[in-house]
Amino acid sequence: MRNTLLATAASLAFASTAYAQVSVGNPMAMTGPIPDLVAPMAAAVDLAAQHVNEQGGLFADGQAYEIIRADSACDPVAAVDAVTKLINVNGVSALIGPVCSGATIAQAESVSIPAGVVTLSVSASSPAISTMEDGTDLVFRTAASDAYQGVALAELTMAKGIKDIAVSYANDDYNAALAATFAKEFEAMGGTITANEAHEPNKASYRAEVATLGSTSDNLALFAYYGSGGITIMRNALETAAFETYIGADGMLSDEVIDQLGAENLGGATFTTSASDDTTASFAAWKAAADAAGVPASDPFVPNAYDAAFMMALAIEKAGSGDRDGIAAALRSIANEPGEHILPGEWAKAKEILAGGGDIHYMGAAGPQDFDANGDVAGFFSKSEVVDGAWMAEIIK
Amino acid sequence: MWMDFGFEFVNFYLVPGLVLGCIYALGAVGITLTFGILRFANFAHGELMMTGTYLAWTFGAVVLATTGVVLHPLITAIPAMAGAVVLALLIDRYFYKPFRDAPTIMVVIASFGMMLIVRSAVQVIWGPNQIAFVRGIDKPNAAVREFTQSIDMMLLIPNKHFWIIGGTIVIVLLLHYLLEHTRIGKAMRAVSDSPDLARVTGINVEVVVRATWIVGGMSAVMAGVFLAMDTQTLETTMGFRMLLPMFAAAILGGIGRPFGAVFGGLVIGLAEELVAYPWIGTEPLISPGYKTGVAFAIMVVMLIVRPSGIFKGRTF
Repeated sequence: MRNTLLATAASLAFASTAYAQVSVGNPMAMTGPIPDLVAPMAAAVDLAAQHVNEQGGLFADGQAYEIIRADSACDPVAAVDAVTKLINVNGVSALIGPVCSGATIAQAESVSIPAGVVTLSVSASSPAISTMEDGTDLVFRTAASDAYQGVALAELTMAKGIKDIAVSYANDDYNAALAATFAKEFEAMGGTITANEAHEPNKASYRAEVATLGSTSDNLALFAYYGSGGITIMRNALETAAFETYIGADGMLSDEVIDQLGAENLGGATFTTSASDDTTASFAAWKAAADAAGVPASDPFVPNAYDAAFMMALAIEKAGSGDRDGIAAALRSIANEPGEHILPGEWAKAKEILAGGGDIHYMGAAGPQDFDANGDVAGFFSKSEVVDGAWMAEIIK
Repeated sequence: MWMDFGFEFVNFYLVPGLVLGCIYALGAVGITLTFGILRFANFAHGELMMTGTYLAWTFGAVVLATTGVVLHPLITAIPAMAGAVVLALLIDRYFYKPFRDAPTIMVVIASFGMMLIVRSAVQVIWGPNQIAFVRGIDKPNAAVREFTQSIDMMLLIPNKHFWIIGGTIVIVLLLHYLLEHTRIGKAMRAVSDSPDLARVTGINVEVVVRATWIVGGMSAVMAGVFLAMDTQTLETTMGFRMLLPMFAAAILGGIGRPFGAVFGGLVIGLAEELVAYPWIGTEPLISPGYKTGVAFAIMVVMLIVRPSGIFKGRTF
């Protein structure tokens, strides 16, 4: 009797979690140092889920594709908490996100890899993520590694005629790795790094740091998140005119920087970010859908976020169930050749091909999302400068 | 001499250290008073500081939207102090008072919970994004720069730093008057020294507790507004980030010793900035990345060597 009850309870639980819907965890940095950048990324994830559900949902019986959002706060500890809850309490099939490299690495090492859950990050770009796995194939990302962005930044700095530069970076996985790549590439190209100092995020004043670095060069390469010290460092530097040019990356590229410091003070600032090739058919399809939904199509990592959520749905459809085991292999299958090309939003078409036993190859909004052996993708970068009071982006070829 | 040593030292290390020290000092005053009189480490103090600053910004924004007048942050701090004091009294009445006779650890945990509740509430009301408190760049005061340049000792001090340092001096003088020359101030010191003795001499301890929250809340708001004037931004963890250095300042000065806390705040603020000065050679003495560690190290050394603090405060 007791066994029968248990079996009934188990089958009921199974029925309610596995047949009605498939849940995917989405631990985004909703609070923390970069909320402005993350809000449109979260909207893009929701848009992808909406496309899937409007066009028939998952599997033959049209199960709902459910996104369960949590707050990873761009913080390793918060990310581990959020993902532990998603995996153990919500029982999600896979993860889309987290946003920041430090949070992604921490949750992968201590929670998702041991649990055998696939992580598909939307914007974690630290080179360390390429090599973090040992024998498993569970961590993927739809954003390009900073091993490439460091090169792009060094080339950009050289192209501006800058021969010597001081480097200041926040002491976290993303910023430290990017600073190291940049410094190495810049010196290889014949430039001089006059100083290379870590700074502690979240301090009220960075005047001592600025003074130390400012005495060595007129140029500053600043690797920080805008909300946890980046703006304060720039403010302290601008107050005393310590530097003439500022070079930086994704973490600093926010309208918040212009809003707080004033466009008239940012003439010397150039920041790069991961960008999309806006000439592809995929980007056109994405832009049409994003514009209709009011999502900013070209903002940093927003197309990457859409790609991640859409690809995860394709992978689950391909795997045939929400079981955690089959998702990694299915993700590789739908992202890489061979297969019929699927553009962003073409869920019904993809579902039909998969139902007929065919292969598909998703062409990402942000660029070709073909995973290499490390679960990395190639990408494009753009540089942004302040023109008429707003960031103006230009693709770096 | 000035160009070789003084210019950089004073402008980029000493003055910023003093400014930071003033902010720590005002925050530490509230911590040391609640620690001394209520006998628990109030983790929610940083959030009180942050909430007060958000209230100040909101008042300024509302006045700007309705009348078009740009108020100085110090004026917006006055209604914010009233709001923060009400918040502190409500928290004490409904969350801390029930634990008054319970073991200290319970009220400490309650204050930790309060910290998370208040921060989340602020995030719900104002959102998690940063807010610009004062826009643009505050360039060094031109008159001071020209005058000091003419005597070959150029000082680069923005106006906001004059406000912060001057404001802190005024507040500390007011605090001195309150504690040394008023009845309630004397009662507060008496409860801090020995609550039981104070009670048998007829001092109403609950009144003293309320006075403590009022004084602590007001100085917390001033610390928060000064911090926001310096960094020119608001965000919801600004109070929490200041909590460790403020605790270090309170312990350095001696628990229950408001002037010890002021002294401790200045020492911690100056120490954090001055360790990054290239005292030996051309490299920073300690990498600026480890500034927070300096405050923590001072606190730990003080607890080992002299747990009562410089001004002989309470030990637990």
